[in-house]
Amino acid sequence: MDIAFRSQKPAAVEVQDLHVRLGGNPVLRGVNLRIEAGRMVALIGPNGSGKTTLLRCLLGLQKPDSGSVRLLQEGPPGPGILKRMGYVPQRLQLDPSFMLTVREFLAIRRPLTASWFWRPSRQIDALLHEAVGEMDVTRLLDRPVAGLSGGQLQRVLICSSLLNEPELLLLDEPTAGVDTPGEADFYELIAEVHRRRGLTVVLVSHDLSMVYRHASRVYALNGVICCEGAPEEVMNAESLRQAYGIHFTPYQHQHPHSHGSHGH
Amino acid sequence: MDIEPFMLRAVLTALFLGPLCGFIGVFVTARRMSFFSDTVAHAALAGVALGFWLGLPDPTVPMILFSLVIAGLILWLKERTALLNDTIMALLLSGSVALGMVILSLLKGYRGELDRYLFGDILSVGWGDAALALVVLITVGSVLFWKLNALALLTAHSDLAHVSGVPVRWLNYGFVALLTVTVALSIRLLGIILVTSLVVIPPAAARNLARSLRQQILLSLFLGLIGASGGVILSYPLNLPSGPCITLTLAGLFVLSLLGSRLQRAHQNAS
Repeated sequence: MDIAFRSQKPAAVEVQDLHVRLGGNPVLRGVNLRIEAGRMVALIGPNGSGKTTLLRCLLGLQKPDSGSVRLLQEGPPGPGILKRMGYVPQRLQLDPSFMLTVREFLAIRRPLTASWFWRPSRQIDALLHEAVGEMDVTRLLDRPVAGLSGGQLQRVLICSSLLNEPELLLLDEPTAGVDTPGEADFYELIAEVHRRRGLTVVLVSHDLSMVYRHASRVYALNGVICCEGAPEEVMNAESLRQAYGIHFTPYQHQHPHSHGSHGH
Repeated sequence: MDIEPFMLRAVLTALFLGPLCGFIGVFVTARRMSFFSDTVAHAALAGVALGFWLGLPDPTVPMILFSLVIAGLILWLKERTALLNDTIMALLLSGSVALGMVILSLLKGYRGELDRYLFGDILSVGWGDAALALVVLITVGSVLFWKLNALALLTAHSDLAHVSGVPVRWLNYGFVALLTVTVALSIRLLGIILVTSLVVIPPAAARNLARSLRQQILLSLFLGLIGASGGVILSYPLNLPSGPCITLTLAGLFVLSLLGSRLQRAHQNAS
């Protein structure tokens, strides 16, 4: 076990004994999590399991009551570390009265194109060319962001988060607004980005089937990490019952994996 | 042609504040803050009344300060209580108007001033107001352009803005302060009741014609400028308060923008 622990890759995300109470209710009750750098993993759990709260802790949007978050081997999420991270929210809060185009939305995210207001579109397109091509959003550049479909918006959001070449990419329910045929394409695209760029990808989702196919490791959350391991190990009936059922006691693992990081 | 000095002051003030309201209005409408703008405008009435009660000849300073206090109170109550936004604003709007009316009714000789502040009056615009409007145009306009990307990102998604390094809380407070000062100062021209029209109509009309945020901002600036100055100029020969004249000019521009957008679409469908 010790040898296995020492041979682990460096961690992109390390969470230790994280506790968060919201409105007096314990939402996270001692979460321990270690995500190796360069992996594509999924954090799954039913509604109310604390997925969003944990994600907010990782993004520095929620202060934990106790415990620690260490990202990219540096420290808690702060301005310096956040610059090395990408975040893809479920959807935007855009009002249709706001005429922000995809080109403008991408330009405001990148220092090189920050002066978009005064630049001709051709110049901006030249500077955004690489990421726009990678995510296949070229034909969307002139469209208002508020008018995009769920699938188109997700592509644009991922494209914008890749502009700053993140080492860690966090996606919150990435296929929530995407139709079923679009989901498979979407996960293929993420997997392709992951392979090509070698960055760490964390999918926060309750979408079990897609996660099963694409994540190399799955963490099941329900106030605590009930179970973690390879998808086929975690997705067995017992561990899903732990995550989605009414019994919240941590699952005693029967499958081979390291216990060094999550401490139960 | 001789221009009356009061007319010159009013037109200049309109030329300064019209585009500024149009610019800031793009973010006010997108962030659904029209009612917020209306609330801080109504709060100004209590500030005006306090100014008169203190015996000040010009109530501009207490008017702006009181609106800022109410704006701060809205944010504070939003953060500290479970009250809904609408409830907080309705509470403070009606409370401020009631306070203003009580103070004004206790003072003798100020009832006549009420109409000026409710509906706007070009005669009440002094050189000091015009100069202040220019200073506000330069400072608020510069800050808006300087923080344009951060504001656009905040409008799109506040958490995404945070992760991108935008100081969300400070930007929110700063935006509210800039909006409050701009609205309070525009009350001279439009009056408390109609001032929100200069913040809301130009971006709404611009949205009908624009195909990008850049176009929407530029068009909204232009429509604010035309609407405010046009309304002030019309109010003199028609002998009407400037507020309704500006608002009706803006409404006319909005109708034209709707027609323009229909024509645009018909042209696109034909080609």
